[in-house]
Amino acid sequence: MEHWLELARGPLFAFTFLVMGLGLARHVLLQVHGLVTRKGQRLRQAPWRRIASSTLSWAVPVGHLDRSTLVMTTASFLFHIGAVVVPVFLAAHVALWSGFLGVSLPALGEGAADLLTALTIVCVLVLVAYRLMTPRARALTRASDYGVLGLVLVPFLSGFLAAHPTLNPLPWSWMMLLHILSAELLLLAIPFTKLAHVVLFPFDRLSEVHWQLRPGAGDRVAAALYGEEAHV
Amino acid sequence: MATEVLQQDAQAPARAATLYHIENPEVENKAERFLNAFAAVLHFTDYKALLDSYCASSAKCGRCVASCQVYQVSRDPRDIPCYRSNLLLDVYRRHFTVGGWLKAHIGGGWSLTDALVDEMADIFYRCTACRRCTLECPLGIDHGLITRLGRYILSMAGIAPKALQVSVREQLEGETRNTSKLPEPALVDTLEFLAEEMAESLGVKLEFPLDQPDRDYGFFCAVSDYLMEPDTLMGNAAVLYAAGDWDRWTIGSRNFDAINYGLFYSDWHLERIIKRLVGEAKRLRAGTLLIGECGHASRSACQFVPVFAGQDELPVKSFIEYTLECIEDERIHLDPDIVTEKVTYHDPCNIARSGWIVEQPRRILRSFVKDFVEMTPHGRTNYCCGGGGGLVSMDETHEWRMKVAGRVKAEQIRATEAEIVVAPCANCKKQLKELVDYHELPCRVMGLHDLVLRAIDIPGGKSARQRQDEAALAATA
Ligand code: SF4
Ligand code: SF4
Repeated sequence: MEHWLELARGPLFAFTFLVMGLGLARHVLLQVHGLVTRKGQRLRQAPWRRIASSTLSWAVPVGHLDRSTLVMTTASFLFHIGAVVVPVFLAAHVALWSGFLGVSLPALGEGAADLLTALTIVCVLVLVAYRLMTPRARALTRASDYGVLGLVLVPFLSGFLAAHPTLNPLPWSWMMLLHILSAELLLLAIPFTKLAHVVLFPFDRLSEVHWQLRPGAGDRVAAALYGEEAHV
Repeated sequence: MATEVLQQDAQAPARAATLYHIENPEVENKAERFLNAFAAVLHFTDYKALLDSYCASSAKCGRCVASCQVYQVSRDPRDIPCYRSNLLLDVYRRHFTVGGWLKAHIGGGWSLTDALVDEMADIFYRCTACRRCTLECPLGIDHGLITRLGRYILSMAGIAPKALQVSVREQLEGETRNTSKLPEPALVDTLEFLAEEMAESLGVKLEFPLDQPDRDYGFFCAVSDYLMEPDTLMGNAAVLYAAGDWDRWTIGSRNFDAINYGLFYSDWHLERIIKRLVGEAKRLRAGTLLIGECGHASRSACQFVPVFAGQDELPVKSFIEYTLECIEDERIHLDPDIVTEKVTYHDPCNIARSGWIVEQPRRILRSFVKDFVEMTPHGRTNYCCGGGGGLVSMDETHEWRMKVAGRVKAEQIRATEAEIVVAPCANCKKQLKELVDYHELPCRVMGLHDLVLRAIDIPGGKSARQRQDEAALAATA
C-alpha cells in the first residue's frame, strides 16, 4: 500500500500537475495570441478601467447580493475561498509543495483547516441542491455540471475523512489513496472542463474588448458568402 | 445537448415560429447556410477567442436569470440568458472545435438541423440585447454580444427580420438613403415647417442650416425625429440657437439619418452605415458628429466611428453632452419655474449601461425640473424599456413587448407616480408610449429636449415665462 501511495503522491502527481499546467497554459496562450494578433491596435481603445472595476467588484461580491441569489452567491463565494486556500495552504500540502517546487508556504492551523474544509464541502452540497431545486438552474444544468461538482467534492471529503480517524470508515491508507487519486483526477479535469475558468475568467470578462469589432470584416464575410456585389 | 432539450419540449404547446416576420421565411438548407455563414464569420472576424473562452468556462449557474426583464415575466426556460447563448455555443463546440468533432464521430452526437436554426431565429429575438444580465454574471458573460452574434450569423445565412432588413436596404442602397424613406424635398419641407413653428412659438426668425460646409457640428438624428418628434428637434434647435451656435452647425441632405440597425443584428450593416455618416461629415467638412437624442444611434456612432473610421478621425458628441456643456458654461438659461410636474428619467440601455451617459441628463433635468424622482433601479442597472435590440421597430412584436418584455418597465414607471417620463431615445420613446397606453399609466412620455424646449429662455425671442403666460391666455380664451 505504501508503495501505491508513494506512486500516487510522487510521479503520478507530477504528471497530472504538468498536464494541468500545460492545458491551462494552452488556454491562456490561445487567448493572448487571439487578442494580440486579431485585435492589435484596437486593444488600446477598450474601456480597461471599466473592465477592471467590474472584475474587481466580483472579488468580494457583496455589491452583488440580492434576495433571489443570496444563498447561491454566498455558497459560491465561500466555496471559492476554500477551494483555493485548502489545497494550497493545508499543512500536509505545504510539505508537498516544498518537496516538489522548493517553495515554503505558510501552513493553515489544524482548526482553521478543518473548518474551511468542512465549509467547502457544505458549500458544494448547497450548490448541488441549488441546481436541483431552483427551476432556472435546473433548466440550465447538464450532467457534466453535476459531474464537475462531484469531481470537486470527493477530494475534499476524502481528505477530511483521512484527517479524522474517528469518522473515517475505511483504513487510513485507502482513504488517502482515494484522496490523492481523486485530487489528481480533478487536476486533470481542470483544463478540459468548465473548471478552466480558473485561468479563463479574466478573458471571459473582456466582452468590451470584443465589441471593438474588426474593420472590414463585414464586407469580407458578405463577399465570401454572396460575392463582391453582395446586397443587403 | 440543445437538441435534447428541444426533443423534451416536443410535447410542449408549440409556439408561433417567431415573434417577428422573417423577410424570407422559405430559405432552404438552413442548417447548411447557417454553418457556412458561421464559418465565414469565424474566419474574417475576431469572435473566435471570445467563443473559445465562453465555451471552455461557461458556468451556467443561473445567477443572472433574475436580472432579465423578459424571464422575470415569461418564466420560460428558453428565455434564460445562458440557455439562449448556449444554443450558439453548442453549435460552435460541435461544428468548430476538435473536441466537438471527435465527440460527434466517436459518440454519434448530434449535428445542426434546420429545426435548431428555426429555434435560434426565434430565441435570439426574444432578448432585447440590453446587457443587464451581464452585470450579474460573475464571469461577465455578455449575452447581448452573443445574441447579436447569433443574429448576425442568421442574417448572413439569409434569415433576418423583415422590418429591419427593409429599412437598412433603403438606407444603404435606396434612393432616399434613410430608414424611413423620407425624400430630400420632404426633409426641406419639414425644416421649413419647424422654422415657422419656432418663429411663432419662440419669437425668433431662423432658417435651418442644410448642407453648410465647414461647420463645427454635423447634426444627425434618428430620421423618425423629423417625422414624429418635432418637439425634440425644436428643443435641439432651441439650444443651438440660444447658445449662439446657430451658424456653427448643419444638417446634411445626402445623409441625415443616424439610425443604425446594424448595431442590433449585423456587423456588415453596422460598419457600412457608420461609414455613410463619416462620409457625409467629411463631405460637409464638419468638425464633430453631433448625434441627436437616440440611444442606439449615439452608442453606435460614439463606439464605432473610432473602430471603423480610425481613432481621432472624427469626434462624436451626443446632443445631451452638448446641452449640458451649454448649461454649465451658462450659455443657455433654463427657467426653473416652468416644469412643475413630477418627472422621472428612463435610462436607455445603449447609452447608460453600454455607454457613458448616466449623470449628464440628470444634471440637465435637476437644473430646471422642480420635482425629479428616480426609478428603482436606475442608471447603469436600469431595466430595458422592453423594446431594445430592434424589437420596437417590428410592429408585429407589439403584444409581446407589452405583455412580456415591457411589463417590468411599466410597473417601474407606475411606482414612481411621475407625470412625465423622459426618455432621450427614439426607440425607447416609441416603446414607452405604447406601454403607457397599454397599461394605462397616468403619465406622458417625452424626449429630454422636449422638456428643455418648454423651459429654455430665448435671447432676442420669448422667455419661457412669456410663452407660458401666452399659452395660459390662449387656453382661457
Ligand atoms: S440582454 Fe437583456 S433581454 Fe437579453 S437576456 Fe440579458 S437581461 Fe434579458
Ligand atoms: S451568464 Fe453567467 S451568471 Fe448567467 S447563468 Fe451563465 S454563468 Fe451564470
